[in-house]
Amino acid sequence: MIEFSHVYKNYDKNYILRDLNFTVDKGEFIFITGPSGAGKTTTLKMLTALEKPTHGAVRFLGTELQDLKPREIPFLRRKIGFVFQDFKLLPNRTVFQNVALGLEVSGIFGNIITKNVSEILKAVELYTKKDEFPLSLSGGEQQRTAIARALVQNPQVLLADEPTGNLDEETSGIIIDIIKSFNNKGTTVMLATHDKHLIANMGRARVIDITKS
Amino acid sequence: MISQRVNYFLNYFKIAVLNIKSNISGNIFAFLIMSFSFFIMLFFLLCYINIYNYMNIFQKSNVMIVFLKNKNNSDKKNVLNFIEGLNGVKKALYYNDKSSMKFLEKKVKHLKSILKDANPDNFPAFIKINFKKNAVSSIFLSNIYLRVKSMKGVKLVYYNKMLQDKIVQFMFFTKVIGLILFIFLFILSIFISYSAIKLVILRKQNEIEILKLIGATNNYVRIPMFIEGEIGTILSFSVSIFLLFAIYKIFIFYRFDSFLKFFHIKIIFLNPVQIALVFLIAVVSGIAGTYMSSKKFF
Repeated sequence: MIEFSHVYKNYDKNYILRDLNFTVDKGEFIFITGPSGAGKTTTLKMLTALEKPTHGAVRFLGTELQDLKPREIPFLRRKIGFVFQDFKLLPNRTVFQNVALGLEVSGIFGNIITKNVSEILKAVELYTKKDEFPLSLSGGEQQRTAIARALVQNPQVLLADEPTGNLDEETSGIIIDIIKSFNNKGTTVMLATHDKHLIANMGRARVIDITKS
Repeated sequence: MISQRVNYFLNYFKIAVLNIKSNISGNIFAFLIMSFSFFIMLFFLLCYINIYNYMNIFQKSNVMIVFLKNKNNSDKKNVLNFIEGLNGVKKALYYNDKSSMKFLEKKVKHLKSILKDANPDNFPAFIKINFKKNAVSSIFLSNIYLRVKSMKGVKLVYYNKMLQDKIVQFMFFTKVIGLILFIFLFILSIFISYSAIKLVILRKQNEIEILKLIGATNNYVRIPMFIEGEIGTILSFSVSIFLLFAIYKIFIFYRFDSFLKFFHIKIIFLNPVQIALVFLIAVVSGIAGTYMSSKKFF
């Protein structure tokens, strides 16, 4: 499903990634690990065409992402949900509207939005807060909103960049449980973290250390 | 397919309204400047149309006077026949010395007391030519002037050539100034739209980034901005045309135009085609401003 083949990435003379090679199959749960600055975020960004490799190839569903035309990129991103450490929610929209955005950009409107958004908000236990604005929510609730937004499009892959980085241990556990539950339903997950406890508590998951791959 | 497009449009419209609400002070500022700009544009057009109409009426009601050398009947007939045979001549009237004096008395009433002792024999015989309105042009009159002047028995041909030239010059001048002002105001309104939308983009850069991350196309981000720009433009235009019409009505209602009646000037308001033209310019400036500002970022 996902393939990194001899991927190099450098900014000027500073190499972030050197000969990165790995593959991910459908339904897998992958931890991308490595110290700060090792290129975890860059690796995830390459999958959404936010970054291009300096050398090598990144393939998603058989397509080489560096060959995508700019107008094809939005359609790639609709197949990939992205969750960020800093949530990236729109402050002037309610929880419901933030989640609905994921469907609206794909051209889905009306009753389907109401049905799908309500379902996903129930799944992340935020339905009762659907009319609240992000700034009135806790960090954990904001991250659950971000996860709901990423998953409402029913993506094939969920990318999570340090999703628990700003959260306490208990809230982190809740977030990971939610992500795990979607993985159990078949969504492929790639989660970048340097939190060894998180990896240790996960159990069935593959770990890719990008400094060693 | 159509309902999908309607849904898209409604969603874009909703986002545009949200954008306007979230930057209300910036939008009010842009709206005021644009209203002022369109008002100046419309006001100038109103002035220009009225001046142009007046000059056109004046230009087209031209009269030529042909003074004859003597009261010889054959010369008079020759000249009169020639003039009547010209295309564009509506009427040619001969005035002998007596009717010439009466003509003067009628036209210059305050000279009546002086003229009553004058000898009619001293007055020249002349032919007054009235031209058809649609036939008169500067070149046409010059041509007639030269042909009649060269005829036997003609002493002097008079028509208001200088005034004619001045009118042509003045109309050319107003056209040039009008065009320059129009271009300036058009560029100004593009710049205002450009700045207003650029501010929105700068303020919403984070939001745009998020939208693009979750799969929004450039159009999804850009179309609400176009709608926002057009809402601002249409509102500004509506306010400026309403304001101009209100001023025009007040002007007419309180008879401020009565002094202009002395010059036979009747103030008219812009017709629907002229209003539509400025509206089109306003819409184009809104689209151009938004396009330029968004192109820089996408």
